[in-house]
Amino acid sequence: MKPMAEATPVVEMRNIKKNFGAVQALRGVDLALHHNEVLGLVGDNAAGKSTLMKVLSGAYIPDEGEIYLEGKKAHLSSPMDARRQGIEMVYQDYALANNLDVAANVFLGREVVRLRLGPIGVMDYGHMEQETKNLLNRLKIDIPSVRQKVERLSGGQRQAVAIARSTAFDAKVIIMDEPTAALSVAAIAKVLDLVRELKAQGSSIIVISHRLEDIYQVSDRMIVLRQGRKVSDTPVEGDIHEFRERVVAYMIGARDDFRERTVAG
Amino acid sequence: MSLINYAQKMFRENIREYGMFIALFIIMTVFAITTDGLFISSRNLVNLVNQTGYIAVLAVGMTLVIVIRHIDLSVGFLAGFLGAVAAIAMASWDLPVYAVIPLILAFGILAGLLTSFLVAQLGIPAFVATLAGWLGYRGALQLVTRSTGTIIIKDETFNAIGNGFIPDIPDIGILPGVHKLTLILGLLAIAFFVTNEIITRNRMQKKKIEVLSTGMFILKLVFISTLIGGIAWILAGYQGLSWTAVVVLIVVIFYDFITTKTVLGRHIYAVGGNPEAAELSGISVKRITHVVFGSMGMLSALSGILFAARLRSATTIAGTLFELDAIAAAFVGGVSAAGGVGKVVGSLVGALVMISLTSGMNLMGIDISYQYIVRALVLAAAVIFDVATRSREK
Repeated sequence: MKPMAEATPVVEMRNIKKNFGAVQALRGVDLALHHNEVLGLVGDNAAGKSTLMKVLSGAYIPDEGEIYLEGKKAHLSSPMDARRQGIEMVYQDYALANNLDVAANVFLGREVVRLRLGPIGVMDYGHMEQETKNLLNRLKIDIPSVRQKVERLSGGQRQAVAIARSTAFDAKVIIMDEPTAALSVAAIAKVLDLVRELKAQGSSIIVISHRLEDIYQVSDRMIVLRQGRKVSDTPVEGDIHEFRERVVAYMIGARDDFRERTVAG
Repeated sequence: MSLINYAQKMFRENIREYGMFIALFIIMTVFAITTDGLFISSRNLVNLVNQTGYIAVLAVGMTLVIVIRHIDLSVGFLAGFLGAVAAIAMASWDLPVYAVIPLILAFGILAGLLTSFLVAQLGIPAFVATLAGWLGYRGALQLVTRSTGTIIIKDETFNAIGNGFIPDIPDIGILPGVHKLTLILGLLAIAFFVTNEIITRNRMQKKKIEVLSTGMFILKLVFISTLIGGIAWILAGYQGLSWTAVVVLIVVIFYDFITTKTVLGRHIYAVGGNPEAAELSGISVKRITHVVFGSMGMLSALSGILFAARLRSATTIAGTLFELDAIAAAFVGGVSAAGGVGKVVGSLVGALVMISLTSGMNLMGIDISYQYIVRALVLAAAVIFDVATRSREK
C-alpha cells in the first residue's frame, strides 16, 4: 500500500517486533501519525506502549520492522540520534535538571555559543533567555521568570517546561509519556490546554496515557495496544461514556479489530 | 520598590551565597578584636593567603567533583607524591624548573584520568576508587622518599612559588615602603571589574533582560571595588602580592569563568543535577566525569607544587589530610552534598574561613584540641545552614 504524497504520514512504524528474552513485548505493531494530528496511545500495563515509544525515540532498537519519517526510511540508534532527526520525547519524570533555570533546561545539550575558544564555548545567555521567553509566550505558559530554577516550579510548570523544550527545535513529532500522571486536576487542565495549543500551532503529537478522559479530550485518533499487538485504531468520537466502554473492551480483549492478522502471522 | 526592600529581596534570594562572605567577615572581625589587630596585620594576612593556597586549589577542583556527585579522597597524598616527584626531578634528574612544572601537572592529569577510568568506565564508586588512590599514593610517596627522607629543594625559582612575592617597580619617591605594583594591579583589577560589569549590564539591558536596579548596581560596584582596593592596600603594606596568591587567583578566575560562562560548565552542573536527563540531552556523563577528575588531578599536582615550594622540600608525610581540608572547605563554601550546587569562589571563601580559624586561634594561643572542635562546629553549622536555606526555598 503506497500512501499518496500529500498524505505521507509524518511517522510510520511498520511491523515492529521487540523481544526481551522470552517475552514478546511487541509482536508486529503498525503505527502511523499524520501531520498535525494528536494520536492517543492506550493500553493496560505491559501492553507495549512504552516499549513502542522507546523504539520510536531511539532508546530501543527493534528486532524487526521499519520506521519511516516523512516517507523516508530512518535508523534511530539512540535518543540523541532520534532527537536530531526531529523526534522529541517528553519523559514521565520530565528529565529536567532541577538545579538549573528554565532557560538552561530548554537549551540543555543545545546551548547557543557566542564565542568559541578551541574546545571551550562561551554561552550566549541573552539569546537563550530571550528565545525561551518567546517560546513560553508563544505557548502561553505562565512562568514568571526564565531564570527561575526548576526546583522552585510546581509539577505542572515543570511539565510545561519539558513540553516547551520538546518544541523549541522544530520537532517533527512530540511523544508525551503520561504527561498528566502525578499532576493536580488544575495542572492537568493546563497541560491538556498546552497540547491543544501545540496542535493549533501545527505540531504532530503522540500521547501515552492511562487517563482515558485525557486521551478523549485532546486526541484525534486512538490506538489501543494489548499484549504487544494493536487491537484498535479508530478516530476519537462519540460521547465520553461510549468512548470509555469501547476502549476498555479493547484493553481487556473483549474486542479486537486486527485478530485475523495475528492468526495469519 | 525601595532600595532597602530590593536589598532585602536580593539578600533573601541569595542568602546561601552571601552567608559565607558574612561568616568570613565575622570571623575576621572577631579575631581582629581578640588579637588586638594582629590578625589583620599585613604580614599575617599574607601568610594566611599563602597557607590557604594549596588547600584552595584542591577545594576548587573538589567543588566540581562534588557537584557531579562524586568525591576524591586521593588528592592529598597525590599532591604529596607529585610534590616529591617534582623535588626528585630537580634534584636527581637535573630537569629545569620550567620543564618540571608542566611535567608534574601532566602527571596529575594522568592520575586524575586513572581515577575517572575506574569511576566512569568500570562503575566503581568514587569513594572506593579514590580510597584505593589514597592508599596507593601514600605508599608511592613513602617509596620515593624512603632512601632520602626529606628531599631539600634548592631551586629558588621553584621555591618562590610558595614563598616569593611579585617584584616591585623601582622606587620613584612616592609611597615609600608600599608595594606599588600590587597597588597598580589592584587598581587595574577594579577598573577591569567596573568596565566589565557596565558593559555586561548594557548588553543585558539592550536585550531587555532583567538587571539589578541602578542603586543596587552602584552599591555592588562600590562594595566590591572597596574590597579589592582594601585587600590590595593591606598586601601592599607588607611585601605585596605573593606568587601563591597569583596562582590561586589565576586558578579561581579560570574555573569561575569555565563554570559560569561556558557550555562545559553548564554541562558539569547538569550532570550534577540530573545525570539521566543530561545523558538524554546528549551530554556524555562519562566525558564530563573524565574532565572533572582530570582537572582534579591537575590541581592536586599544583597543590603539591605549592606545598613543596612553601616548605622548600618534599617530606615523607606531605599531603596528609589535605583531602579532608579541601572537602571541608568546599562544604563550608556552599557546595551541596546532594550534587549540582556549589561555586568555586564559594570554596575559595570556605578555604579562607577554615585557615582563618586555624590562624586566628593559633594567634590567640588556643589549645589545638579546642581548635579541632571549633572547626567541627563551623563545618556542621555551614551544612546545617545549607540544608535549612535549601528546604525553605522549596
